[in-house]
Amino acid sequence: MTRYVLRRLVQIIITFFLFQTLTFFLLYAQPGDIANQYLLNPNLPPDAAEQLRKELGLDKPPHLQYIQYMKNFLTGNLGVSFTNYPRPVIDIIKERLPRTLVLFFTATVISFYVGFALGKLLAWKRGGLFEYATTVVGVTLYTVFTPWFALMMIWLFAYKWNLFPTGKFITPTLWRNTPFTANDVFLRMIWTGVWGGVVAVAAYLLFRRLPPPYRFFSGFLALFVGIIAAVIPWIHSPMARYALDILWHMILPIATLTLISFAGTMLLTRNSLLETMREDYILAARAKGLPEKVVRDKHAARTALLPVVTSLVFSLAFAIDGGVITETMFSWPGMGLTLLNAVVQEDIPLAMGAFSFTGMLALLAHLAADLLYAYLDPRIRYS
Amino acid sequence: MSRKRLLLLAILVIAAMVLAACPKPTPEKVVETVVVTKEVKQVVKETVVVTKEVEKTVVVTPTPTPEGAYVERPYRLAIFEDLTTTNPWSYYGPNSTVWNGYVIGLMLPSLYGYSDQRFDWIPSLAADFPTPLEQEGDYWVSTVKMKEGVKWSDGEPITAEDVAFTVNAALQLKLTDNWEAAYDPEYVDHAEAVDTYTVKFYFKKKPGLARWQFGAAMGPILPKHFWASAVEEAKKKLEGVDPNDEEAYKKALEEAHKVLYTAPADGQPTGGAFGLTKWEKGAFVQSDRNENWAFKGQHVVEYKNGAYYEEVPGWYEFCAYGDCSGDVTLDYTVGPYVTSVLHNLYGSQDAAILALQKDEVDFMLNPLGLQVGLAQQLEQAGNFRVVRNPSNGFRYLGFNFERHPQDVKEFREAVAYLIDKEFITQRLLQGAALPVYTLVPEGNGYWFNPDVPKIGQGLSREERVNKAVELLKSAGFTWDKEPKWDPDKKAVDPGEGLKLPDGSPMPEFEILAPSAGYDPMRATAAIWIEKWLNEVGIPAKANLTGFNVIVQKVFVEGDFDMWILGWGLSLYPDYLCDFFMSDSGYNVGHYNNPEFDKKCSAFLEETDMEKAREQAFELQEILSTELPYVTLFTAPILEAYNPEVVQFPYTETLDGIQNWNGMPSAVKLMK
Repeated sequence: MTRYVLRRLVQIIITFFLFQTLTFFLLYAQPGDIANQYLLNPNLPPDAAEQLRKELGLDKPPHLQYIQYMKNFLTGNLGVSFTNYPRPVIDIIKERLPRTLVLFFTATVISFYVGFALGKLLAWKRGGLFEYATTVVGVTLYTVFTPWFALMMIWLFAYKWNLFPTGKFITPTLWRNTPFTANDVFLRMIWTGVWGGVVAVAAYLLFRRLPPPYRFFSGFLALFVGIIAAVIPWIHSPMARYALDILWHMILPIATLTLISFAGTMLLTRNSLLETMREDYILAARAKGLPEKVVRDKHAARTALLPVVTSLVFSLAFAIDGGVITETMFSWPGMGLTLLNAVVQEDIPLAMGAFSFTGMLALLAHLAADLLYAYLDPRIRYS
Repeated sequence: MSRKRLLLLAILVIAAMVLAACPKPTPEKVVETVVVTKEVKQVVKETVVVTKEVEKTVVVTPTPTPEGAYVERPYRLAIFEDLTTTNPWSYYGPNSTVWNGYVIGLMLPSLYGYSDQRFDWIPSLAADFPTPLEQEGDYWVSTVKMKEGVKWSDGEPITAEDVAFTVNAALQLKLTDNWEAAYDPEYVDHAEAVDTYTVKFYFKKKPGLARWQFGAAMGPILPKHFWASAVEEAKKKLEGVDPNDEEAYKKALEEAHKVLYTAPADGQPTGGAFGLTKWEKGAFVQSDRNENWAFKGQHVVEYKNGAYYEEVPGWYEFCAYGDCSGDVTLDYTVGPYVTSVLHNLYGSQDAAILALQKDEVDFMLNPLGLQVGLAQQLEQAGNFRVVRNPSNGFRYLGFNFERHPQDVKEFREAVAYLIDKEFITQRLLQGAALPVYTLVPEGNGYWFNPDVPKIGQGLSREERVNKAVELLKSAGFTWDKEPKWDPDKKAVDPGEGLKLPDGSPMPEFEILAPSAGYDPMRATAAIWIEKWLNEVGIPAKANLTGFNVIVQKVFVEGDFDMWILGWGLSLYPDYLCDFFMSDSGYNVGHYNNPEFDKKCSAFLEETDMEKAREQAFELQEILSTELPYVTLFTAPILEAYNPEVVQFPYTETLDGIQNWNGMPSAVKLMK
């Protein structure tokens, strides 16, 4: 196993190196350079654009820029953003990442939970009105034009019914005199999520040791304990009302993201479960006279979960990217918008920084998925 | 989750979407004859629900608005891109984005500025106009007396020391970008504080209006007591570095700039009506009212005869540009009437429009204005007023004079006649653009020459074709088959085999233009220009390509025939020389006219406003006949606001309300 992990790590490093090289030259291949933007300002003396080009290192040939970039990257220096000159790229990523993580991790987890629960039901209760209705609604939403749908959600729930804000992640008038920044609250929310998750998992492992009648509720109990553990530190915190403000702003984008994407997991779960249900051990479980719910949840769903979990792991890795459309529509300035603006404005260091994070996490997610497979499915062993 | 609940949820979601898509019931259209018995100057809102044709007399009793009936609360503005810095050195340097300007621009005072609406050059921190330039040893000098009693927000007085500090720091540290444009090191040598409220500028050579009045005198001024340590820190990077060692000096300068541009700006005092107090990155920027602002309650009057008057009761009065009496075109009193300015960041214009309609923001700042569709949507909503202002810029067709026959005047004139700007703006672009005939937009009243010939305006297609053929023939162009107007088909019988004056076939050439994805207006114009040129046998081909490709080919490589791009302009029209003087870096079409160069040099050196105006008129006349550019059209700036919520002192202004940062120091909020 150790040898396998080491080998995969070496492969990941090589793949990452190729990924970086390809991305750099793809971005570089864009016509023009950022200094040309300054050419369109006649009030600017002509040599100022040239000086800017030098300051940004754009006067060097591409291979030298590439070598410099890689050298910097390997020493942990992602360079300086052209459009936020002379602000380091890593600063910008640190600022935008927490907002994206909170929104997209939450949305991804909820969407997978809804998708998985519905997928299970679909596979088990086939042929009814419920299956048709859910599939049609799910697939419609899955294929809907996202900007339009997001705008409709805002228009309906925020503008027409005034239930939620039209966008943004905080209410400016509330935050005017706060002694902390929104990112402080976001970071605390992330740590709360991690802490609540760890407590919930620990509680689950503990409750599973309970005798059978109580063991049945172990999942709900663990979730309850996790939520309590997460909430307690906030009770007397001055940040609590501001965290609630952020949560309030999150409802609409999360609902939109969930409605748009749950169908993918739902159909994957349904198909996976339908295949599992044809297995002999399901027949054996039914033959033993086990209740349908136990056969579905304990026997079939756990095996069917494998591809779904893999998909979830990849989605979580790509959550770092955020979503350009969602972030634009909901005025949620995270990594998605940063990446888009960096590419449009030819801010190569910033775009490379954002891509590097995505690439690195995607590759690590592949490794995690491989390892998770081996853990979840005893039939798989790596050598 | 039970099956029934899920089903119910699904049905509810679908029902909600269907409901959302249902249009609002439109009231039945009513034909109504209204007889108004007297002239009514106040707009009164009335809701009339009538189901049949009626005839009625409306008697309107205007309800007087109580004086000063405004509320003091934050003024909420929508912006679409976040700030990239709050450091004014950096803002005037490499981070000179319009979005930074909306916030930081509220804080930076200057000696002189522009008057409202008319853009007269008027004193701001200065007490009066500067002394005439005079020679003193090797230098040309001018002295400015400053107003006494003006303070930074932290209570420190704004003095000549601050002015000299800012100018000298920019020059000594060789700051680039807009710093270089304001305090041009080719002209400005240094500034000196003669006494607390008198500053003297030293110039290496005699500066014209562009370098002095509209350059250094309008440059930003920063508080010495706040920034002195950062500037000293930056200067240390240059200590011991030999300026003759180019490489080492360049590196030291870069280091010095970095130090200055990254110096913390938190708590910086403001010299404007508002000062930045909080920047929540990605969400909003808060600028609170400067309680020490000396210009509070300033009264501004502009007269029809061109005179300008301002006063702060009990402090000073100022009158310029004529006799301050007679018909008034603008009269208002400066506030600020709001407690603070909140610049709220939105991801898109759609999101901001919804926020505006939901009363989450009071006004939207956008240098490009509203999209036509969104403006119409707001107009139809009923309670919004859409303001349409000309923008200070134009889209144009440029010629490369180094390629034949673009260097032939008659050829360029023929092209200008063939381009039907009214057809493009009114028929093709459905009024989304306005035709432009001159290089100085009409809205820039002081510098606009109204007598410049407007080639082709109001001509029919037949007249255009005939005129173009006549011009080409007069220059020696010939055809195998001459183009003719066919009165039966009401179309051109196209020309074929166009030959240059030397008898050789006219080579095919390319018109570079931005693609429809970048700018559909310019792309549409390019396609029609190609068609109109082809009709008379000119083998032009529109190449719709990426904006960056055009910039690269035109401004860097010089590999092009004709191109279509646009310019945003400054108010002082020295860009006429930037674009067309033979040695200018922006003269990419290589227009070369010694007479024009001579007049330009005189214009750039002119220090008298009236004479400079006359020279600018002459330059416009030359360019309108020589045609190195054919100006095409300009997109007006559309902006919307709810007059029941926001009241501006005026809304008609070049480049729109956004050009005045949303007028936070004069706006009144009614709700």
